[in-house]
Amino acid sequence: MKKIFIYTIAFFASASAIQVHAQSPEQIFKASGTPANPKVIVTWNRYYDHGGITEICKKIAAAYPDLAKLQSIGKSYDGRDLWCLTITDFKKGVESNKPGMYIDGNIHSNEIQGAEFAMYTAWYLTEAFGDTKFIQELLADKVFYIIPSINPDARDSYMHKPNNSSSPRSGVKPIDNDGDGLVNEDNYDDLDGDSHITLMRRKNPNGRYKVDPRDPRNMIQVGPDEKGDYELLGIEGIDNDGDGKVNEDGYAFEYDPNRDWGWGWQPNYIQNGAYKYPFSIPENRAVMEFVMKHPNIAAAQSFHNAGGMILRGPGGAEDVGTYNAQDVAVYDAIAKKGEELMPGYKYLVVYKDLYSAYGGELDWFYAGRGIYTYSNELWTPYLMFMKESTRDPFDNTSYSFDRYLLFQDAFVPWKEYDHPQYGKIEIGGFKKNFGRAHPGFLLESDAHRNMAFSIYHCYHTPKLSVTSLVEKDLGDGLTEVTAVIANSRIMPTHSSQDVKNKIERPDYITLNTKAKVVAGMLVENADLNLTTEQKNNPGVLEVNNIPGLGTVTLKWIVSGKGPFTITIDSKKGGVVEGDK
Amino acid sequence: MRKQIFFAIGLLCFLSSFAQNYSTLAEQQARIQNIVKAYPQLATVSSMIKTNGGKDIWMITIGTGKTETKPAIAVVGGVEGNHLLGAELVIGFAENVLKASGTDSIKNLLQKTTYYLFPNMSPDASEQYFAKLKYERTGNATSTDDDRDGRLNEDPFDDLDGNGKITLMRIESPIGDYKLHPDDARALIKADPSKGEKGKYLLLSEGIDNDKDGLFNEDGEGGIAFNKNGTYKHKTFSPGAGDYPASEKETRALYDFLYDAFNVYAVISFGSNNNLSANDDKATSIVSDLYNKVSGLKDAPRTSVTGGDFLSWAYQHYVRYSFSTPGWWVPKSKPDTAKKEKAFTVEDPIANYLRWSAQQGITDVFTEWKTIVHPNFSDQKVEVGGVDPFVLINPPYKQVADLSKKHTEFLIKVAAFQPEIDLMNVKTESLANGLTRVSVDVVNKGALATHSKFADRNYFVKKIKVAVTVSDKQSLVGGKKILLLNNMEPSTKQSFSWIIKGKGKITIDAGCPTAGTKNIDISL
Repeated sequence: MKKIFIYTIAFFASASAIQVHAQSPEQIFKASGTPANPKVIVTWNRYYDHGGITEICKKIAAAYPDLAKLQSIGKSYDGRDLWCLTITDFKKGVESNKPGMYIDGNIHSNEIQGAEFAMYTAWYLTEAFGDTKFIQELLADKVFYIIPSINPDARDSYMHKPNNSSSPRSGVKPIDNDGDGLVNEDNYDDLDGDSHITLMRRKNPNGRYKVDPRDPRNMIQVGPDEKGDYELLGIEGIDNDGDGKVNEDGYAFEYDPNRDWGWGWQPNYIQNGAYKYPFSIPENRAVMEFVMKHPNIAAAQSFHNAGGMILRGPGGAEDVGTYNAQDVAVYDAIAKKGEELMPGYKYLVVYKDLYSAYGGELDWFYAGRGIYTYSNELWTPYLMFMKESTRDPFDNTSYSFDRYLLFQDAFVPWKEYDHPQYGKIEIGGFKKNFGRAHPGFLLESDAHRNMAFSIYHCYHTPKLSVTSLVEKDLGDGLTEVTAVIANSRIMPTHSSQDVKNKIERPDYITLNTKAKVVAGMLVENADLNLTTEQKNNPGVLEVNNIPGLGTVTLKWIVSGKGPFTITIDSKKGGVVEGDK
Repeated sequence: MRKQIFFAIGLLCFLSSFAQNYSTLAEQQARIQNIVKAYPQLATVSSMIKTNGGKDIWMITIGTGKTETKPAIAVVGGVEGNHLLGAELVIGFAENVLKASGTDSIKNLLQKTTYYLFPNMSPDASEQYFAKLKYERTGNATSTDDDRDGRLNEDPFDDLDGNGKITLMRIESPIGDYKLHPDDARALIKADPSKGEKGKYLLLSEGIDNDKDGLFNEDGEGGIAFNKNGTYKHKTFSPGAGDYPASEKETRALYDFLYDAFNVYAVISFGSNNNLSANDDKATSIVSDLYNKVSGLKDAPRTSVTGGDFLSWAYQHYVRYSFSTPGWWVPKSKPDTAKKEKAFTVEDPIANYLRWSAQQGITDVFTEWKTIVHPNFSDQKVEVGGVDPFVLINPPYKQVADLSKKHTEFLIKVAAFQPEIDLMNVKTESLANGLTRVSVDVVNKGALATHSKFADRNYFVKKIKVAVTVSDKQSLVGGKKILLLNNMEPSTKQSFSWIIKGKGKITIDAGCPTAGTKNIDISL
């Protein structure tokens, strides 16, 4: 069976002119932890545009119909599909009855590798399933919803239009950024025509910059007693509309899709980048609607770049109290493991360690839906020489890394240019694929580490079971049935924000019996006999929460005898039958 | 001249006031279609969207020529579904102003100002007024789990006395916190324990605890209320607000239109919020002064915004001048000495309404308290009764024509305060060989600033642009080609000058969508 697949792949590979023949299985020796002979061959040391993502997703879904399903959850502003891979063992259980882990990438257009990291996760889960027991058990219990890019229009814009490593940040819906009544009238200009927007410098005897003696490509500021010979003129461009400003209204920054979510949202003049109202960006609206329709999503990851961070909310100091102590303990436990799994990554809190940001995706997921959510800021300068360093252009690390490991592939050498406004200048600097995006040879390794963190995150969504079901004859034909329900993972079925605001309905615990249920109660303390009765519909007890690494105890008084079984029906904890 | 116009409007109002009751949605639609059909040059109507209840949200544009190029006022009714008067005032304005559009002053008004009218933002809810079971509904047709227990609509109102109206029930109880009003036993007031008063009644809305959770009528048909669904201080998760701000189609449709309507400088809405009777903002007190004078309404009850409301959204998030008024409230009644009435010893809106309505000859607005058998209070005395729904916030229909006339006058006169950019004191000085200095004053002639105070740094507001255009035979030697100004206060000017080399025509443009654009050609 396996051989047939391999032959098929080999056949396709030979049929396509660009693809070199794959090795035959005999020639391959498996490296530990990596699928050696994947059905879907993806090269994980390069990036893919929307067309590329579409193809990879389709291949995964076609190769593993019992593990992966592909759907479009909506269209982007320009009509691209927002692809979502649902990954679970479809042969075991019902998808919507399993705790879900949501993963997306690329909300910011230039922060591209989130899509590859997300796709790597889908690829790995499907390819490793066959011979990895842990993955088999995971996919029997859990479901992953993976949307590689929730901003495909501007992903393509980043790759195919002139940009720098920080542009565009937003989607492509046009905005009049400077309020002059004209839209996108002053874009970046790719003056040297290389599709990289770099920097402009000009020789000037009064300039305050000079060439860095350690690396002549770098410009450094001169000291107070020094004389410089260059001035920096900013990002490659022209004052196209003659208003005295260069590049002030273009596609590089229209709005910020990560200031468009329905918790703590603030308008444009308070939160730069905010659009009209929460979910006024079509891609975000599609995600929101998807999440609302999937209340089983208990955990989420939204990939960004850069800096090597595991971020949690709140985005604004106003919400410090929203992230209450019980929930922060859950966040801490999982993220601390993340710091171990991803060297160079630090666990940080947005408002405190980064900046205030209102209306961010992770705040809505957590505060609006009760989902434990992180944003990983992918790529850290630490990975260049495996030691602390910075992204600062005046830190020589980037130049050294480019020189000795990338052989100067990441830099556009300074070149003279005759500028219509500045006259004789030079244009040069780092390419758009350096500084924020991983260099090719580090991409797969960091994707794997981030995936491992997502798997750990997902593993700790609730896992419920009936650990004890005890019957006691009370006489007079009455039976007392006591059940202990355990949650063996870190996350509760309802985050404490969820309990406080009743975001999701309670967990329903049903005593399945043919006998008549006379009374039902939650047992607060079995030893001291403290109970709270539920008068209405006692056969289905409603529990506000089943705590992480904890239990709840329930008791029914039944007129008659067994057999008795239990059904646990929890939106985020899954549906579990138990009859212990 | 002015007087004649208002007389004319008054006459038209009188002629059109055949209706005996508030308009149903079908009647609202017919009135809108009729008036637009009669004045196709001045008015257009379109459906912005259909609500989840399948009802149209209508938008009427009134103005002349290129309406989007003129400073505009947005007028919004049906902000709350139980406030029937709002839609009447907006549709009434459309009828009144269009019927008077033959006069010079209305012609001039509509040359200068555009009106965007949104008569009813709560059509799903407002129909409850005409339904078999009448209650003050503000929520739309979106399904909501108001008490967030996972079950939908499991505890609605119940018409226990079968009169087709949801009123109140009072339950005799030793833990009751209400007592009878000392001057009118039909009304109940809160007992004040600090004064040694003891309550005798529990006061609840009419209904049964259908789901036996100890709460009454906490999860009926519900729906999302337009005036709670806004983005400013949205009370996420509270009943009627929605799970996130602007969750409803009608909210978004209105926002979408307005955010792209850069010419709107003021939003005037009709609803429970009132910042027109008393206004602390000096920048706009002329507007409230005008309102109080024209409407003649006094003794307005204080209101406070509750979050998610439209009034706050228009000011805080849409960053335009925003005004709201209920348009009417129950006047303070005076004791009828002929009937030997005395002033109330305790001020109370219900007692006041009962006295006022009796003096007006309004009948059939109070259901006398009547004992019923109530399943949740088997051994207690339960009575159902009270003032009818709607009557405390909607005037008797016969008063609507007059209110409509007054509000039409207000909406017309407020446009006179409109910000208006003009160019003045144009001066050219020859400096030397073909070199000219051109100076000009840009002024805001209006009584309102061109932009409200939150308008800086906002995508959805256009700045004042001052630009000089020279020919290719001329060159701009001094001064800036384009200047953007955030705001100009009323009755202020800013001076600009340029040095231009070369002869021939230059053009200076100044303006912004909220205050109009002016340009002048100058020959050098």
